Amino acid sequence: MDTTTPPKPDDARRQRSANLRTALVFASIAVVFFVGIITTKWMGGPTIGIGVMGVAVLVFLVFAIGRNVRK
Amino acid sequence: MSSIPHDHAAAHGEGPDGHAHHPTGIMRWITTTNHKDIGTMYLWFSFTMFIVGGCMALTIRAELFQPGLQVVNPEFFNSMTTLHGLIMVFGALMPGAVGFANWMIPMQIGAPDMAFARMNNWSFWLLPPAAILLVGSLFVPGGAAAAGWTMYPPLTIQAGMGMDFTIFAVHIMGASSIMGSINIITTILNLRAPGMTLMKMPLFCWTWLITAYLLIAVMPVLAGAVTMLLTDRHFGTTFFNAAGGGDPVLFQHVFWFFGHPEVYIIILPAFGIVSEIIPTFSRKPLFGYASMVYAVAAIAILSFIVWAHHMFTTGLPTAGILFYMYATMLIAIPTGVKVFNWLATMWKGSLTFEAPMLFAIGFLFLFTLGGFTGLVCAIQPIDVQIQDTYYVVAHFHYVMVAGTLFAFFGGTYYWLPKWCGRMYDAKLAEAHFWLSFVFFNVTFFPMHFLGLAGMPRRVPDYAQQFADWNMVASIGSFGFGFTQLLFFYIVVKAIRSGAKAPAKPWEGATTLEWTVPSPAPYHTFETPPFVK
Ligand SMILES: [Cu+2]
Repeated sequence: MDTTTPPKPDDARRQRSANLRTALVFASIAVVFFVGIITTKWMGGPTIGIGVMGVAVLVFLVFAIGRNVRK
Repeated sequence: MSSIPHDHAAAHGEGPDGHAHHPTGIMRWITTTNHKDIGTMYLWFSFTMFIVGGCMALTIRAELFQPGLQVVNPEFFNSMTTLHGLIMVFGALMPGAVGFANWMIPMQIGAPDMAFARMNNWSFWLLPPAAILLVGSLFVPGGAAAAGWTMYPPLTIQAGMGMDFTIFAVHIMGASSIMGSINIITTILNLRAPGMTLMKMPLFCWTWLITAYLLIAVMPVLAGAVTMLLTDRHFGTTFFNAAGGGDPVLFQHVFWFFGHPEVYIIILPAFGIVSEIIPTFSRKPLFGYASMVYAVAAIAILSFIVWAHHMFTTGLPTAGILFYMYATMLIAIPTGVKVFNWLATMWKGSLTFEAPMLFAIGFLFLFTLGGFTGLVCAIQPIDVQIQDTYYVVAHFHYVMVAGTLFAFFGGTYYWLPKWCGRMYDAKLAEAHFWLSFVFFNVTFFPMHFLGLAGMPRRVPDYAQQFADWNMVASIGSFGFGFTQLLFFYIVVKAIRSGAKAPAKPWEGATTLEWTVPSPAPYHTFETPPFVK
């Protein structure tokens, strides 16, 4: 195990915006689930609710797995 | 790949060396953005809540020591079962896991800190107000919530203002969990040291990454469910209120959409801890690393499609029953993969049985038993008989206590030398294990018999034929409770006067955290290590 050269300030800025992007993606997923569950219940029967949440879960899984596969 | 020490130093008002001007005393803890400080606070908070929830459990067991009503009135008894569940799940087990994550994830992936250090502070400091709301609700008119930790309507629509306290507490703890999860995901995805590919990460980091994904998906759903409860209670909506055309069973669907993944949120970090301990004390690499990662992912994905196994008696269509039954049983496959991999790791290893390993092996035995009774519950024709009986109580305590809590004890004994730089009394720690192991089984094994014989859960009184095993369980529970005072003593004694710990007290340990001195310096890996 050895050490690399110290990081440049530019790297730090890029790192921070990458972090922010990741956080925003996941925060928006959380918002979709929170608003989604309430609006689907608001709109009507269990079929719509389960359908909408099912699609949300699928998209989430595809995204979550896809992101890691790419790396 | 870079680290971010510069802006951290600026954000802390630290000097250029990054170490000057720390606030001291209480202000250090209130304003800290250091992952180690925050991890420590999470762990102490978790232990405090464990004691509070444990006292409630002992109140329950004291009342159930004999048939009849002796100790508390039935309303208070119901509050005890409700708060015990909420406090143990949201106050003790989840924050405990986050405490381990805060301490260990940055050190295991070679990151200088969590990605969002100030949000990390905020995540923690949301918890004490939530705990105060929960415990404080005992003192409001009408008493604390008493409808069970699952908060089913219609009871929770009719209950007093203690329920509102509970709803707000759940909101706050949910927000804390979501922020913590975003932090963990970002840290793991973006801050790994050069060379630390995802498939080289210690398994503890993997289990937490997947746990955080689960939390992001299901905590907002729980928040939505209790928000709808709140509007049903106060703003005239009728989501779950049958009187206005709502459907109480709908709440159960939404709650268990959260509730089942929640079980894995609690157990996966424990899997991670055990997967660190067993290879170390077997002096062999973890058997089947990649299959372990895929098994954890498979468990997480399956956890989204099994929730209605909690609702087999609500009148599901037959096709639904069959689907949820088989889907639930499928989870046994990835879980079995993990158990066999742990066994294969130990196979022909040069095993030693220090306290962390004892707890890991205790976990292996008892968690597997709890997983097995879960399969029994998953068989719908059997579940119709045993749902809401003590069999279910026995099942999930084998998973939550002998599973997660034992893993937390093991993890504490494993990493305590790294945290505080001192060794603990090994003999006492082994005594802690054996006493916990025996008293745990004395408490919870008889509950299988009680449940099979038909004793319902959440009742303060019971028929005469259940008396003997209840007495045994109550005796065991007090033994288990007092044993945990020994744990407190062991930890405090180690912190105050333990022998100095070397950087790597366990010769078989291989992960990055053991390359830094003990206690771990306030800042580690400010220049990222290179992982080959
Ligand atoms: Cu479940």
